[in-house]
Amino acid sequence: MGLRGYLTKRAIVALVTLFVIATLNFMIFQVISPLDPTRTFVDPKFTKAMRDALLAQYGLLEPIQTRYIKYITNIFTWNFGISFATMTPVVNELAWRLPNTVLLLGTALIGTVLVGLPLGMMAASRRGKKLDMLTLAGGLFANGVPVFFIQLIFLLFFSYYMFIWFGFQFFPSRGMVSIPAPTDPIRYAADVLWHLAQPALSLIVGGFGGWALYIRNMMIDALTQDYITTARAKGLSERSVLYRHAFRGILPPIVTILALSIPGIVTGAVITEYIFTWPGIGSWYLAGLLGADFPVVQAVFFLYALLMLIANLVADLLYGVLDPRVRVGIRR
Amino acid sequence: MSPIITQEKRTIYRLKIEGFLEGFRRNRLGVLGIILLLVYIIAGLFAPWLSPYDPQQSQLLADAYAMPGWMKIFPQFSDYPNTINVTANWVVQQKTDSMAVEWGKTVNMVFNTTDTSETAEMIMNATFNYPYSVPPQRFVVTYDLLIGNITNTWYYAEMVIVNQAGNSTRIWILPFTDATTEVSPIRDSSDAWLVKELGYSDPKAVNVARSHVFTAPVKGTYTLAFHLYFRPDEGTPFASATATLGNAQVWIPGLVHGILGTDFLGTDVFSQLIHGAKISLAIGLLAAGLETSIGILIGVISGYTGGLVDEALMRIVDILLCLPVLPLLLTLVFVFGKNVFYIVILIGVFGWQGLARTIRSQVLVLRESSFVESAVASGAGKYYIMIRHIVPNIFPIAISSLVLSVPAAILTEAGLSFLGFGDPRTPTWGKMLNQAFGFGAFEKLAWWVAIPPGLAITFLSLAFVFMGYAIDEIVNPRLRRRR
Repeated sequence: MGLRGYLTKRAIVALVTLFVIATLNFMIFQVISPLDPTRTFVDPKFTKAMRDALLAQYGLLEPIQTRYIKYITNIFTWNFGISFATMTPVVNELAWRLPNTVLLLGTALIGTVLVGLPLGMMAASRRGKKLDMLTLAGGLFANGVPVFFIQLIFLLFFSYYMFIWFGFQFFPSRGMVSIPAPTDPIRYAADVLWHLAQPALSLIVGGFGGWALYIRNMMIDALTQDYITTARAKGLSERSVLYRHAFRGILPPIVTILALSIPGIVTGAVITEYIFTWPGIGSWYLAGLLGADFPVVQAVFFLYALLMLIANLVADLLYGVLDPRVRVGIRR
Repeated sequence: MSPIITQEKRTIYRLKIEGFLEGFRRNRLGVLGIILLLVYIIAGLFAPWLSPYDPQQSQLLADAYAMPGWMKIFPQFSDYPNTINVTANWVVQQKTDSMAVEWGKTVNMVFNTTDTSETAEMIMNATFNYPYSVPPQRFVVTYDLLIGNITNTWYYAEMVIVNQAGNSTRIWILPFTDATTEVSPIRDSSDAWLVKELGYSDPKAVNVARSHVFTAPVKGTYTLAFHLYFRPDEGTPFASATATLGNAQVWIPGLVHGILGTDFLGTDVFSQLIHGAKISLAIGLLAAGLETSIGILIGVISGYTGGLVDEALMRIVDILLCLPVLPLLLTLVFVFGKNVFYIVILIGVFGWQGLARTIRSQVLVLRESSFVESAVASGAGKYYIMIRHIVPNIFPIAISSLVLSVPAAILTEAGLSFLGFGDPRTPTWGKMLNQAFGFGAFEKLAWWVAIPPGLAITFLSLAFVFMGYAIDEIVNPRLRRRR
C-alpha cells in the first residue's frame, strides 16, 4: 500500500468516525435523553397550537428519521441550528466565542511547551542534580494535582487576598474584558491581556511539570542510544549532541504527544472557562447543558470530536514526516 | 497438564511476586505512595470515629465560614468567639403577689386574683456570659411559651435582651390578647422579620439586632429578660391564667470552630474532609478496575483473535479515542442523572481505549511466541490459552495501568463534582470545592474550605502516581537499569 492508499484509508476511517459521532450526538439528545427540550423554553400555559407552532419553528415536530437526516446533512454543511436560548443561529455565536478559546488555550499551550521543553532537556542533561530532582518532583506533583485546584488557588490569592492586602486585584477574577470595555484599541488589547494572564498562567503552571518530566524521560532514553555515543565520539560539543542529535531523535514522539494533548487541553478548558467565566466555547457548552440548550451542546460536542479526530490524524501523519522509518514502513 | 509443570509455574510466579515486592520495598517513592494511601484508607475506614460530626446530619455547628479553631493563636483572632449554646436558667426579679411561680429551667406561673382592678406583672431574668471581646455575627433565641386557662384577663408578653451598657433590645412581643397562646418562637438576629419588627425599614440593616445587643463593652454578662403583664377585665369577680415558659436557649454561632472551621452551612469542614476519603477511594478504585478489566478483555480478544473481530474492535477504539471525554461525561451524567454509581460506570466505560491498544500490541507479540505455539500444538483451546498464557504475561502492564488510572479517575470525578455534576448525596471533595466556589468562600477568604479538599485530592492522586512510578520502574527493566 502506497502513501496515497494509506491516506485514503485514513480519510475514509476519519469520515466514518465523524459520521458515527454525529449520530451519537443526535441519539444522546434526541433519542436517549429523557429530557424534553421543549420544557425549558415552552411555557406550560401555552395552548397546543402555540406550542406546536414554536416547536415547528425549530423543526422538532417532524418524525425522528427526517430529523436525523436533516441533522446529519446540516452538521456536515456547518449548520448547527438555532439556539433555544438566544433564538439566533448557533454558528453566529460560535464565530465570536471560538477565537476566545483559541486565544486562551493557544497562549497556555505555547507557554507550557516553552517552559516544559527546555526544563525537561536541561534536567536530562544534568541528571541526578538539583534541577533534575526538582523537575522530577514537579512533574510527579503535576500528575496528581487537579488543574482546577491550581486555578482556584490562583484566584483566591491573586484576586481575593491581593484585594484585601493591597486594595487592588492583581489579576481580575472574571471575564475577558473590563466592564465597560475600553474603547481605545491598544488599551482594549492590554485589558484583554490582563484578563488572560491568570487563566493562562494557571494552565501553564498546572501543565509544564508533566511536560518537563515527559521530555526528560525521553531525553534520558535518547541519550543512551548508540548514535549519541557516536556523536560524542566524533568530538561534537555537548550542546550540539544534546540539542541537534538527541533532540532530533525525540522530536517525533514530542510532536505526537503535543498533537494528542491538544484535545485534552481544549476539553479540560471547560473547567478553566467556568472558573474564570471566560467567554469561550467551554463555558458555553456548560451553560448550554445546564439550560438544556441542545443545539449549542451538540454543536460544541461535534466541534470537540472533530478537533480530536484532526489531532489524531495530524499526530499520525506528522510522525511519518518526522520519522523516516515510519515512512519506509508505509511504502513497503 | 501434568502437576509437575503447574508446580514449577507456581514457583516461578511466587519468585516473580517476591522479586516485585522486594523491588517495591526498596523504592522510596513507592513506599511513600503506600504510606500516603494507608493514611487515606484509615481515614476512609474509620471516618465515623475519626470525624467529630456526621457531615450529612450536623449543620449549624457554628457561623457560616467560621475559621479553624487553632487560628486563635494569632493575636488578631485570639478573641474570636466559639459557639455558645446556653439554656436559660430563670430567676424571678419582680412579681405581683397574685402570681405563684416555680422557676428554674422551666417556669410555671399561676395567676389568680379576685381584685380585678389591679394589674399583675412579672419580670424574670436569665443571664449568660459572653467571654469574648469580638462580637458575634448572629444570635438566635428560642423558647416554648404556653399561656392558657385564661379567665377574665388580657395579657401581653415580651422578650428582651439587656446588654452591659444597660440598653435593652426587644426581640419578641406578644400584643395584648385574651386568647390562649402556644408558641415556639425562633428569634434570629439575621432574620429580616426581626429587623422589621425592630422598626427598621432599611433593607440593608440586616444585622441590626446583633449590633444593638453587642455594643461595647462586648465581653461580659448579658441578660435575657421575660416580661409578662396581666390586665384583668374590670368588674369581673376574679381573673386567672397559667403560663409555662421552657426550653429557652440562646445560641450564638461562633466565628471559630474545630480543626478546619465550617462551610457556608456551618458544617464541620474536617468531618467532610475525612468522609470524602472513602468515596473518592471507592470511585477511583472501582472506575479504574472497570477500565482496566475492559481494556484487558478487549485488548486480549482483539490481539489474539485477529481478523474481522480485531478490525471491528479497533475501529470502535478509534471512535472512542475521538470522543471528548469530559464533555461527554458531563452530558451523560446530565442525561442519566447525578448518581455516583453512573459516574463510576461512565468513567470506566470511556477510559479503556488506550490500554486496549497497548495490550493488543503486546498480545500480538505474545501470540507468536514459542510457548503459545507449543500450547496450541498440545491441543489447548483458544480461551484456555488466552486466560492461562496470555493474561498472566500482560499482568505487569495491567497492574501499572490500573494504578495509574486510579488518579485519573479520581481527578475526573473531582472535576465533574466541581462543575456541579457530582452526586448531591455523597460528600466528595469535588463537591466541597464546588460549594466553596459557588457559595462565596472566596469573597470571605475562607481558605479552609477551598484548600484542604484540593490538597486531599492531590495527595490521594499522588499516592497512586508514586506507586505507579515505582511499579513502572520495577516491571520495566529498561527504566530500572537507567536509575
